[in-house]
Amino acid sequence: MSSSEMKRAKRHLETTRKMKDMLPRFFMRTFERRFSNEPLAWCMVGVPPELLKAFDLLWEWPENFGTLCASRLVAPDFIKTAEGDGYSPELCTYVTNTMGYCKRWIEAGEPPEESPMPGGMGNPTMLLGSGFLCEPRYKWFQAIATRFLDVPVYSSDPLAPPWDVDPHDPRIAAHYKDLLREDLHGQVEFLERHTGKKLDLDLLREIMALSHEALAYWRDTLMLRQAVPCPMGSTDYFSAIIPQMYMVGEQDAVDFYREMYHEVKDRVERKVGIVEEEKYRLVWFGLPPWFNLGFFNYLESLGAVVALESTYNVGDWFEVELDDPLEAIVERAWARTVRMHEYGTEAMPELCNPAVFGGFVGSDILKEFVDQFHLDGAVMHLTRSCRAVSFGEVHTRNRLAEFGVPSLIFESDMADPRLWSDAQIKTRVHAFIETLAGRAAKR
Amino acid sequence: MQKLSGLARAAAIASQPEARVKELRRESGKPVIGYLCCFAPPEIISAAGAIPYRITGRPGEPTAEADAYIEPYGCTYVRNVFTQGLKKRLDFLDGLVIPHSCDMIQRLYGIWTYYHPFPYSRLFNVPHQVTPWAERFLKREFIFFQESLEQYTGEKVTEEKLRREIELTNRNRALIRELYRHRLENPPLIKGSEMLSLLLAGGWLPPEDFNGLLTEALAEVEKRTPEGPARPRILVWGSLLDDVAFYRMIEEAGGDVVADDICIGMRLFEKDIDISGDLYDGLKEHYFVNFQCPRTDRGPGLTRFDYLLERAREYNIDGVIAYIISFCDPHKFDYPDLRDYLKEADYPMLLIDDNYSFTPAGTIQTRLEAFTELLGS
Ligand code: SF4
Ligand code: SF4
Repeated sequence: MSSSEMKRAKRHLETTRKMKDMLPRFFMRTFERRFSNEPLAWCMVGVPPELLKAFDLLWEWPENFGTLCASRLVAPDFIKTAEGDGYSPELCTYVTNTMGYCKRWIEAGEPPEESPMPGGMGNPTMLLGSGFLCEPRYKWFQAIATRFLDVPVYSSDPLAPPWDVDPHDPRIAAHYKDLLREDLHGQVEFLERHTGKKLDLDLLREIMALSHEALAYWRDTLMLRQAVPCPMGSTDYFSAIIPQMYMVGEQDAVDFYREMYHEVKDRVERKVGIVEEEKYRLVWFGLPPWFNLGFFNYLESLGAVVALESTYNVGDWFEVELDDPLEAIVERAWARTVRMHEYGTEAMPELCNPAVFGGFVGSDILKEFVDQFHLDGAVMHLTRSCRAVSFGEVHTRNRLAEFGVPSLIFESDMADPRLWSDAQIKTRVHAFIETLAGRAAKR
Repeated sequence: MQKLSGLARAAAIASQPEARVKELRRESGKPVIGYLCCFAPPEIISAAGAIPYRITGRPGEPTAEADAYIEPYGCTYVRNVFTQGLKKRLDFLDGLVIPHSCDMIQRLYGIWTYYHPFPYSRLFNVPHQVTPWAERFLKREFIFFQESLEQYTGEKVTEEKLRREIELTNRNRALIRELYRHRLENPPLIKGSEMLSLLLAGGWLPPEDFNGLLTEALAEVEKRTPEGPARPRILVWGSLLDDVAFYRMIEEAGGDVVADDICIGMRLFEKDIDISGDLYDGLKEHYFVNFQCPRTDRGPGLTRFDYLLERAREYNIDGVIAYIISFCDPHKFDYPDLRDYLKEADYPMLLIDDNYSFTPAGTIQTRLEAFTELLGS
């Protein structure tokens, strides 16, 4: 629905507004390098970006490209092309967006002009996938390399223990960590073969140190959102995930997150919120509707502020020994797995940074969040085409109900606006706000 | 009442699939462990002194009960199976084993065991890439699986016991291959729906009983002579099919299902589990390395479907019907590649996208008829 009034999102922080200058500068720099025929990887969240950086590789994130296409409203065009090729409308729209994009690109011999980035995504010499999170992610690169691009593929394959297996059992830990470690070494070997470079461990260590410094500021910023009134909202949150994806290991990224931290801290000290009167504090579950991030501003207009998001949440599992930087990546992934396990999720770990999602099976951490962030309710986005992230929301709603926290689950998609209806969603939101108001009145 | 045997007995078992395991449970005191998909070897369950039972759904039954726990957007088969649990139809199970085959199945595990804790439950983790480290992981996972079962049943899984169980199921496999051989004939001596009803019974019976049933069926089939004119020969590829209704529809439409590439089909039986070396190596090869399910990444390129083409040629098929359940990612992702591959090889393909209910039956039937007609012309 391209006419949605929630299309335009307003950010509240100076720092995130400044990304408008910072990111294009970065993209121009990498864009120029594309013409030197350097190796370029299309890669997925789950591939450690620090590793890519250590190989001084150029890279693109087709998932993030999907979010860009979604926010510029060109995704439906690409998705329809993929559907015409036999891809079901039920499939992940990040995937079908890329499949349609590739089809047009290969057929025309040049990047489609609808592409939201000039020149589209660079021409890859390899695909680095990851089965972390979901199976569409390895089927995706398998399909691209089968249908459109004849380039080598490496898909990493991390697994995590299910919720009822104890990750603190040393045998279990070794079982899973061996898989993570051997898989990572497989990835390094693949990168060395296809870049012709040897991995420089000293460089990787430096990159990791910078990356973790940036992540620490990011984490601390998120913690500041426990404050009442909440100093930062979701429109800033979902924008601010980008620098760490592209500019990992760069001083610029550290500076960005440091600046953001100080800005948010200052707001907390001055008790500056993002709405005039903060009536309700919410937790957000699921992927955002990238084409309508203004949805969050709409909630804000009703006095409802999102103080915590379940997706792309960086957590605090990156404080690991960096002496052996490859082992540090393994330890980080494992620490994350164990932490996720405490959430009670059955998420698979990733070998890099953000992305936590719903499906809190049986843990107490949900209750801790409710208390620490003073949450009144939850809004959950049931994305039809991404079951990986949204499956488990009904269960999370049940768990939250045990603590007296009501939830709103609404259906749409992260990239395809065809499933969005302003009128319907507003009706649901209003009914939900009334529930929250009723509860507040009783207290 | 006349005692049923062979194919008639197999068909009758479907009306009360759990009858035999319930009886065995009563007589032997052994626990019954339900499992889904094909990755956690039932042989290990038996070797630990428990009775494996393949959980199946009831296509077409409403699944509204599941809405209180899981999302509407999910594999309708998974929702259906979970509904069987919610309706207390699986209360005879002492345990539940769910392998990490696809996302949906894996996610179901946590939700199911949270709301309905079983005396024994296990998620059997399976990698998606076939790499040396994935294979090593899987072998360790076998051991953890075995230990957890031993702890629950109090019985040790010795090499001897495991070998005996594999020998029993290998005997099943040999008999099934014999039966499949009669599908090579034209027209086939055994119908697709009959074959599937036998295979389904195999998931509900202990292997000794299943061997008896297969032997009866084989004797029966061997007595048959080819009947009527040859009809279009069809291979069915796709998501899970654990009900004969769909094959019957194809038969009614004028086609014969003579080969398959689905969960409960040839991929489980076309080879024996190798017991000449390490038993876990044999299980790993059988249930993972050589197990052709699109949930495992076989790398890019259309040659990953070569095994299917070989099968199509061997069984002299005329066309392929793809049966895909809504929200089934592994199959939906493979569909366009497979369609192109088969086109190249000159095999027509029909896609039936279904929500595990075979409805609207009229529409599906008409499409099947049009397809068999096309193949026959
Ligand atoms: S997690 Fe969801 S959005 Fe991401 S690739 Fe998987 S299905 Fe798509
Ligand atoms: S039908 Fe597809 S989605 Fe459903 S359980 Fe089987 S493989 Fe998974």
